[in-house]
Amino acid sequence: MNLHLPQWLPQSNTVNLLAGMFLLSALYAASQRRVTACIAGYRWNSIALGLIALTVALITGTGHIAVAALLVIGVKAIIIPALLAKHASRMKGRPAEPLISIPAGMLICGALVVVAFSQTRALFGTGQNILGSCLPVSVATTLVGLYLMVSRPQALLQVVGLVMVENAIFLAAVSLTYGMPLVVEVGVLLDLLVGVALLGLFVGRIEETQGDSGTPRLRSSKG
Amino acid sequence: MPVLLLLPLVLIPLLAAGICLALGPRAGTSRVTIAALTLTLVVAVMVAAQVVNLGDQQAGGGWLHADGLSALLVCIIAGIALPCAAYGVDYMRHVKTLDHADARWLPGRYEALTLGLVACMMLSAIADNLGLLWIAVEGSTLTSALLVGYYRRPEAVEAGWKYLILCSVGISLALFATVLVFYSGAAVFGEQGSTLRWTTLRDVASQLDPRFVKLAFLFALIGYGTKAGLAPMHSWLPDAYSQAPAPAAALLSTALLATSLAALLRFHAIAVAGVGPEWSGALLTGFGVLSIVVAAPLMLVQDEYKRLLAYSSLEHTGLVALAVGLGTPLALFAGLLHLLVQSLVKALAFLVGGSLQRASGSRRMGHFSGLIEADPRLATLLVFAGLGLVGLPPMGTFASEWMTLAGGFASRRAGATIVALVALTLVFTAITHRFSRIILGKARERFADPLPARTRVPLVALAGAAIVLGVWLPTPVRALIEHAMLSIRR
Repeated sequence: MNLHLPQWLPQSNTVNLLAGMFLLSALYAASQRRVTACIAGYRWNSIALGLIALTVALITGTGHIAVAALLVIGVKAIIIPALLAKHASRMKGRPAEPLISIPAGMLICGALVVVAFSQTRALFGTGQNILGSCLPVSVATTLVGLYLMVSRPQALLQVVGLVMVENAIFLAAVSLTYGMPLVVEVGVLLDLLVGVALLGLFVGRIEETQGDSGTPRLRSSKG
Repeated sequence: MPVLLLLPLVLIPLLAAGICLALGPRAGTSRVTIAALTLTLVVAVMVAAQVVNLGDQQAGGGWLHADGLSALLVCIIAGIALPCAAYGVDYMRHVKTLDHADARWLPGRYEALTLGLVACMMLSAIADNLGLLWIAVEGSTLTSALLVGYYRRPEAVEAGWKYLILCSVGISLALFATVLVFYSGAAVFGEQGSTLRWTTLRDVASQLDPRFVKLAFLFALIGYGTKAGLAPMHSWLPDAYSQAPAPAAALLSTALLATSLAALLRFHAIAVAGVGPEWSGALLTGFGVLSIVVAAPLMLVQDEYKRLLAYSSLEHTGLVALAVGLGTPLALFAGLLHLLVQSLVKALAFLVGGSLQRASGSRRMGHFSGLIEADPRLATLLVFAGLGLVGLPPMGTFASEWMTLAGGFASRRAGATIVALVALTLVFTAITHRFSRIILGKARERFADPLPARTRVPLVALAGAAIVLGVWLPTPVRALIEHAMLSIRR
């Protein structure tokens, strides 16, 4: 398969724009109080990821990345958000307060992004190819996703944080190596899909056994 | 005919899992499980024999590769899965009638999950591709999470949730490690030609950029270390092992732990070949000693039998990491031997605990006492389990722990070994104190083991194997472990 990006489309700008969309959607998810808004942030995050992969496929002309990109859009931008939204719609009552207030959280996320950019540049150097901007974005999104996981009490938002970390690592794979072998990527996506379904099952059971808005009151480890 | 041997290791349990799901509530699932796992054990021993006699085996167009470490692992997995499943037949049947009205799962699910877990572990043991290895390890997390949350009581759901979310985060960091190794390979093989085959990566490791090899090992250590339960990433471990049904906990704390540790050792092997044994060895030693030191005081204060065993599991993982990290031939041999014998001993301890729990209707050790009077045979098995957990003769763990410490004192890291030794004496105190209170003392009135006598057969088999390996190391086992040493350090 031989694909090419149209001449009139500047390559690096396209990728940079999409990378910006990737990072901003992650920050949007981390700054929202409502669960459905966080899921929407994740959906845009996945769409940006799929489009970056598609652009890379067009630039390099490799078929297997195009297939992976379509799978990413199908699984991460359509199926997983739908699964999460199904669970979110079952939750009643006011959303639980974040453990750290939203404005303070935004400042922390901003600091994480700065750290990610400076440290990644120090280690990998500044952009040896058109995807140079993607690696720091992926590291920053990993940190933002992890922050989302630890700062929210809702079980479902921890899942959103987790799948966002997965997105970021997928982006790192695309930007560092133009994607891993197709079999591996399909396997990773399959594992992720089953994992999210299982986590959804557990969210359901937590609601069942604790009977409120999906806030797991996890006992602290007794040692 | 390597294809005929390697693929069935994965396919037999997978097929049997499908049959169990299809059979559902009908009888026969337990017979299918036992037959499939017996067959798997036979194939595993044949694979090990081939690896020892003929060298590494390959199959599946470069996706599967069995070396010494794989051979050791498939033997551990199959050797533990069979007794656990045999014990589970009666144990799990009893669950439905006795105390857990909320175990609403259809019969057949438990067997299917166990077999699926075995298939994933087998695949991770023989994968010749770091991506496939990752997929298999993540697959084993998914199947085992359902086993942890098998009883639908709130504590079990919490434990399953904690296990799934923490291990998923850990394992996504391991995926990043995989990406980094793949990237460092691109500098050697060219942008499009890089490979994820660890056999190839290990051969060219000296040409890889040392920064990325080190970074990849760090991420793998955190990622697969979370899954193996190394401190300080172990917080899911006591909950998961104490909430899973006893036979499942036995399988989780032995075979699954060994496969996760082995995934880390694949990265260790690349790091050893790339930047020398000192760097990653020091990290493994550090995390190993930390695990032992964290586990020991917590074992002193445990009241619940399975939580005590969970911390004991942490300690044994630490010992294996310490021994492999020390890296001297004696310590490496001891570490891999320990991986084998501690599996036998810990599976025995968990299964004995299952019988204790059924007989007394309690999970707390305060509620077990006078076992020697109430049930002398079970008490004898418990004594052997306890001796094995603390590493006393005649159990196999004595030899492996002794050699680990001897190897440690002979190496340049005698300080770490002394710290580990001090922590091990605490472990000794904790286990002897608890176990002697269970065994001695006044017998309880309501103590009756409802499980049929045949559930004792797997227990006796496990105890027997651990004792035999303690007093005599058969030549084939020795050769197998020596081959496994070669896969870490040439």
